[in-house]
Amino acid sequence: MKRSIVSRRLSTAVALAAVATLGLSACGGGSAPGGAASSDSGSAGGTYTVWDPYPQFDDSSAWVQLLKKCGTDNGVTVERTGYDTTDLTNKALLAAQQGTSPDVILIDNPVISTLADAGALTDTETLGLDTSGFEENLLGAGVVDGKTYGVPVGANTLSLYYNKDVLDAAGVDPASITDWTTLTAALEKVSAAGKKGITFSAIGTEEGSFQFLPWFWGSGADLTELDSSQGVAALSLWKDWLDKGYAPNSVINNTQTTSWQEFATGEYAFSENGTWQLGNVKDAGFTWGVIPIPAEGGGVAPAPTGGEFVAAPVQSDDSRYATTTKLISCLTSPENALATDTTLSYIGATQAVQSEQEKDAELKPWVEAVQGAKGRTSDNLGTDYPLISEQMWDAVQAALSGSKTPEQAMKDAQTAAASATS
Amino acid sequence: MSSARTTALTPAARRGTKTALGLVLTAIMLFPVYWMVNVSFTKTSDMRRTPPSLIPLDGTLDGYRAVLRDQLPYLGTSLLVGVATVALTLVLAAPAGFALAKLRPRGGGALSFALLVAQMIPGIIMAIGFYAAFIKLGVLNTLPGLVLADSTIAVPFGVLIYTAFMSGIPDELMAAARVDGASTWRTFVSVVLPVSRNATVTVSLFAFLWAWSDFIFASTLASGSQLQPITMGIYRYIGNNNQEWGSIMATAVVASVPAAVLLVLAQRYVAAGVTAGAVKD
Amino acid sequence: MTTLEQGGSAASRSSGAGAQPPARAPQDGARSSGGSRPGAGGRRRSPSSVSQLTAWAFAAPVVVYLLAFYAVPLYRNLDLSLRDYTVRSFVQGGAEFNDFANYTTVVADPTFWPALWHTLVFTFVSIGVQFALGMALAVFFFQHFRLSTTLRALFLVPWLLPLIVSASTWAWMLNSDSGVVNYALSLVGVDPVHWLTSPQWALTSVIIANIWIGIPFNLVIVYSGLQSIPADVYEAASLDGAGPWQKFWRITFPLLRPVTAITLLLGLVYTLKVFDIIWIMTRGGPGDSSQTFATWAYDESFGNVLPRFGSGSAISTLLILMALVAGLVYIRAQHKQEAS
Repeated sequence: MKRSIVSRRLSTAVALAAVATLGLSACGGGSAPGGAASSDSGSAGGTYTVWDPYPQFDDSSAWVQLLKKCGTDNGVTVERTGYDTTDLTNKALLAAQQGTSPDVILIDNPVISTLADAGALTDTETLGLDTSGFEENLLGAGVVDGKTYGVPVGANTLSLYYNKDVLDAAGVDPASITDWTTLTAALEKVSAAGKKGITFSAIGTEEGSFQFLPWFWGSGADLTELDSSQGVAALSLWKDWLDKGYAPNSVINNTQTTSWQEFATGEYAFSENGTWQLGNVKDAGFTWGVIPIPAEGGGVAPAPTGGEFVAAPVQSDDSRYATTTKLISCLTSPENALATDTTLSYIGATQAVQSEQEKDAELKPWVEAVQGAKGRTSDNLGTDYPLISEQMWDAVQAALSGSKTPEQAMKDAQTAAASATS
Repeated sequence: MSSARTTALTPAARRGTKTALGLVLTAIMLFPVYWMVNVSFTKTSDMRRTPPSLIPLDGTLDGYRAVLRDQLPYLGTSLLVGVATVALTLVLAAPAGFALAKLRPRGGGALSFALLVAQMIPGIIMAIGFYAAFIKLGVLNTLPGLVLADSTIAVPFGVLIYTAFMSGIPDELMAAARVDGASTWRTFVSVVLPVSRNATVTVSLFAFLWAWSDFIFASTLASGSQLQPITMGIYRYIGNNNQEWGSIMATAVVASVPAAVLLVLAQRYVAAGVTAGAVKD
Repeated sequence: MTTLEQGGSAASRSSGAGAQPPARAPQDGARSSGGSRPGAGGRRRSPSSVSQLTAWAFAAPVVVYLLAFYAVPLYRNLDLSLRDYTVRSFVQGGAEFNDFANYTTVVADPTFWPALWHTLVFTFVSIGVQFALGMALAVFFFQHFRLSTTLRALFLVPWLLPLIVSASTWAWMLNSDSGVVNYALSLVGVDPVHWLTSPQWALTSVIIANIWIGIPFNLVIVYSGLQSIPADVYEAASLDGAGPWQKFWRITFPLLRPVTAITLLLGLVYTLKVFDIIWIMTRGGPGDSSQTFATWAYDESFGNVLPRFGSGSAISTLLILMALVAGLVYIRAQHKQEAS
């Protein structure tokens, strides 16, 4: 008798606690995960989920309004969630594993090959999506084994921003910078004039590789051979700048944002940074300009493409693809793409948007840079790229922090990369 | 006598020196917090200035404006999640602590060890492990789910605290209740729990603070929810290419204020000794 | 001297809540089936009329909770580490068992030994210093001078900050060029130190930040422990002519031994898991100079666009094993303590 009272009281208490927490669902309930679980199927309405890496945009922003409008234009409701970009890959993989993938996902372009490899994305042929309007060099990042797994929403790339006031004071003409020798000479002059030379990001993440690639490719090196003499030359260039004080020690830990903050103090002549800073540079408070990153022997160095792709994860119910395709087409239509790219400070991925953007004098150099840019996962590197990139940024870190010489660093990186990708 | 041997200062002066020393130590400890506040008022163009400015004389309120505009719902959610986590933790930990301390089930040692092992699992493994389970339970991207996850941070520790405190309760107290005809449950609720008030406050404090600053569970299990805690709210300022550090630090400052108030209030209770309320021999 | 020792052991023998240092709990449970417990006089066995069923009924919710919320993730982690997981098999299923191949890969990796060393250094230095400072501060604040309660509460503020903020603040303060620490050093004529960007200093920098974050926890626990030492023991010592140092070393420190043990153990378990601070400040770099098992595991699974879940979970399992060994050592030490 005593026992049953005890257990009854106990179970009541536990039940009460459970009810209390579940009762929070009245005010706490959020969106149900994924499209596979939603009520209606395909055509006549229903909810379509979209995931993107733009948590800085909330529901009132132009981006989300555009998503919803694309939805209503096609007779469906769009539910959007913004995630931190570094997190989105795992989320996408977990969701694919559990069958709760969103209908549309926007994700950083090097990740497309990983997701495609995992069998988590539907290719554009199955979707019936027309990819002819997209620039080839930009589309390349999403091509795996001859199939395309998404389309770019826009692209960005790197160039050299310069502070005209600092350059004038040092007696440097930006137009004279055409190759590595002239650039280093300019940095020397700036340093002699008491200002700082250049800032960039060499952090031990994909961002660091992203920033290193224009120099790496600009020396003629290839990602499949990190330890070629050209590759070592690129790394030595950076190491040299650090040793001579033309670049600050903090580049080893800088993200592109903190590197930009250094440039924004007005003490630096150059900053290697991207299209997305165009909005910020206008607030800089000094006269600025942009020059393309020079290649070692002259000419413009190929820069890597940043920017997201729009892709359609695999769904268990493939009648959903028809509407998904319509949503993607809506997002990437010339008008909408132009609006989105303007908000994100990206360059368009189609000829239509690019020619529109070229009319703007400020954007013109960027459009040209993007046209000469290259996808990181192109050349069918696909899922080999992340493995090579990791070794590359490790080598950069080791060389810049002084624990290895550039030659040794690249040699070790190549050995590790070769065994990882074999 | 001994007191005269140690120092020549009067007791009041000695206490004054101690207060001064205390202030200095606190200032050193809180310097990074001061720095955080400093950055929250700094303009973007000054953020990487060399040398850094110790006082943001040429400051900006932009960060705080952003916070007041965006972050209040997140703060409210964090508060809600924190309180709910405390409730759940107490409901689970107190009876278990009582069992281990007083009722001595056979194999209780194994249970204690299991609770210790439970704390060894890194958060990210827990989060990934929960993902599938939460989908099946239907609590992914919901606040109750987040509360469940956050409680896993505090429950094992809570049981440990309760067991420790409750072991110190004299058996005579319980025997007295039993003589009066109370059941074990009754004894627990009416005698043991009130006496363990300080343990309850300690566990609540830890549970609240851990839930308040949790990021890994919020990010993995609740980032699709409509209401999110403040640790995710900060991500509004961490875009895919740009981070607004002034706003991030301002958010942290504003987020710390209610928790700091709670801390100061709760400290008084955690401060009151274990001896309070117990029967002394 | 004899009086002091007697005073100390008398304190541990007297019954009542006050004298019982809080952290004897785990070993008490371990002796549940035993009879007499030496050295802990005053606490008798529970009345045998309380059935085992009632006892387990109270503990049942936590047992269910443990199985559901800890056993499951642990199992999945183990499973991940014993199979050959590519991104494809992670998503589609059907990953093959590859026995301990993931473990051998991990051990053979050039990062293994540095990471192990860093983990040990990071953990032991952190908990040692955190505890020492926490105890010193607890004893200091225990003297109840003006503002001591408020100041003690303020010491807990670092706890409230989300880790991304504390870690970022430290990263900013330690920046080679624009950091306030190097600025302060320059005022006294010291060259700037590359706190986060040189292999020599990276580990030290994250240890310092971790100590800062860990002091509040140690402070609170030790302070609670101090409160359970009855004042009459100190009074007796004063009467015998003991100074503050002697009081600390002969009374406070020995009586706090159980609290010390549990705080250090919990500190060890929590510090082994620490990853946010290191990740945000240095990402385990430059190179691998501040890589610990926790950051390495995360790096393998999530630090790359192409995740390697097998290696990541193998490293996590090794980490948990390390913590487990520490836990067993603790239990063993407690048993020996009891037996003596």
